[in-house]
Amino acid sequence: MRGFSLGSKVAIIGLDSVPPELMFQKLLPKLPNIKRMYDRGIHGTLETCHPPITVPAWMVMLTGKNPGKLGIYGFRHRRGFAYKDGYIVNSTTVKEKTFWELLSAKGKNSIVLGIPPGYPPKSIPNCNIVSCFITPGMEKQFTYPAELKEEVLKVANGKYIFDVTFRTEDREAIKKELFEMTEKRFDVAEYLAKNKPWDFFIMHEIGFDRLHHAFWKFFDPSHPKYVAGNPYEHLDEEYYVMVDERIGKLEKIFGDNCISFILSDHGSKGMHGAFCVNQWLEEQGYLKFKTKPTKMTDIDKAEIDWSKTKAWGWGGYYARIFFNVRGREPEGIIDPTNLQKEKTDLTDRIMAITDDKGQKLHNMVLVPDELYGTAIGDKPDLMVYFGDLNWRSAGTVGHSSNYLFENDTGPDDSVHSMNGIFLMYDPKKNLAGREIRGAQIEDIAPTLMNMYGYGAEVNGMDGRKLSEVFA
Amino acid sequence: MKDSKYTTISIPRPLHDRIEKMILKKEGFKSVSDYATYVLREVVAMHESKDVPDPFTSEDLEQIKERLKALGYL
Repeated sequence: MRGFSLGSKVAIIGLDSVPPELMFQKLLPKLPNIKRMYDRGIHGTLETCHPPITVPAWMVMLTGKNPGKLGIYGFRHRRGFAYKDGYIVNSTTVKEKTFWELLSAKGKNSIVLGIPPGYPPKSIPNCNIVSCFITPGMEKQFTYPAELKEEVLKVANGKYIFDVTFRTEDREAIKKELFEMTEKRFDVAEYLAKNKPWDFFIMHEIGFDRLHHAFWKFFDPSHPKYVAGNPYEHLDEEYYVMVDERIGKLEKIFGDNCISFILSDHGSKGMHGAFCVNQWLEEQGYLKFKTKPTKMTDIDKAEIDWSKTKAWGWGGYYARIFFNVRGREPEGIIDPTNLQKEKTDLTDRIMAITDDKGQKLHNMVLVPDELYGTAIGDKPDLMVYFGDLNWRSAGTVGHSSNYLFENDTGPDDSVHSMNGIFLMYDPKKNLAGREIRGAQIEDIAPTLMNMYGYGAEVNGMDGRKLSEVFA
Repeated sequence: MKDSKYTTISIPRPLHDRIEKMILKKEGFKSVSDYATYVLREVVAMHESKDVPDPFTSEDLEQIKERLKALGYL
């Protein structure tokens, strides 16, 4: 294994939703620590999975298995083919082994801080685990081993913050909580890196994603709603600089005998709007209401006439479309032998959807079984990206137009993009800022397996070893 | 001097030997103490836990759904 110092530790600093355009272009000159790692390391974009969402993306990265193999297509799933019964993904939904579980079986120690979905924390020998932002609250058992909770709370002065509160238009409150949360995460990261045994360290910071969703229009001059001179015009810089300082401190604790990665699970870009998928399906004759809602209503709460409904959809950064199939759904009406034709017909209609000005939207329709090879679990029939992901999907109904210019569910100015970041840094080697091309999120787990000398055991992983890391 | 981090417990020798033999085959555990700590943590957590097997209570679920909706995931 050329170029890789045997006996090195590996640390991953996972920054949710960081796009290369911000970290490697716009803000890089302001980030001395990341710039040093960039100049002496290897960098590139890390192409994410479909769908480009935090859950499943981190698990794709750290199991090396695609969402179809994991059976995870977002945070929420239907339970079987029920119309309304569903579940939220948690750590136990993930049946494939994460990288630290594979290392644990070799007797190697790991620190795992906040990787989603990480609640409830799994009992894995040789690991110190703190759960993720989905944790319902501090009163829960959010660490493994259980005794670690007390230590985390002590480091966080009694208040560890899993996530920021996002139900408010009060940007000042979000900003304050965002900085406090991230500082505390890095306090805990430093404590763990200093005090617990580890061969592998991984942490996740959700704050970037929250910064982007709540403040993108304030700091991106190309956003349609940007206003010059607003009080949050430089908040991206302020936040990234704070994290850069914390990464610098953490790097010192990692020491020279540690190879570091800074990775993100997807990128971010400005939101153009939200497309009301269910209203559109109704217009197209696919969805019928018993009583048509006249004010904003969740699709789960709307009175749907299932005996006349062929398809309905879910909102989020992408749309999930479900067909109402006879013998599959409780009141299905589509003949199963016609399902393929229905998929094709609806796909044609989706591809013809235009934006509010009649311009082509550049939509994408994906079929899970075709996309992943195998697609287990509670998958949608179709996965739809509107306007190259610049338009989110609004699942709610009762709007006066199919085009919304505010998110229907809360303050939001950004959507997800397919490219995250890849940065690798070995303090012992000058890799001269080389660029890696074509790295994909599922390549990380097999690459790590090779770094630790377990390359023969990556069978079944979808990714490939990134040979540039070893060159 | 009392070590504040660890203490010693006694278990029957044959049990110790069985565990030792077993963990030789089962990768991951570095010692009998390591194994005993893991198993005891599991058993103690089981006794301490009053939660239903589902990791989220119905209250948790409603709160998480609202949170995920506000965050734009749903």
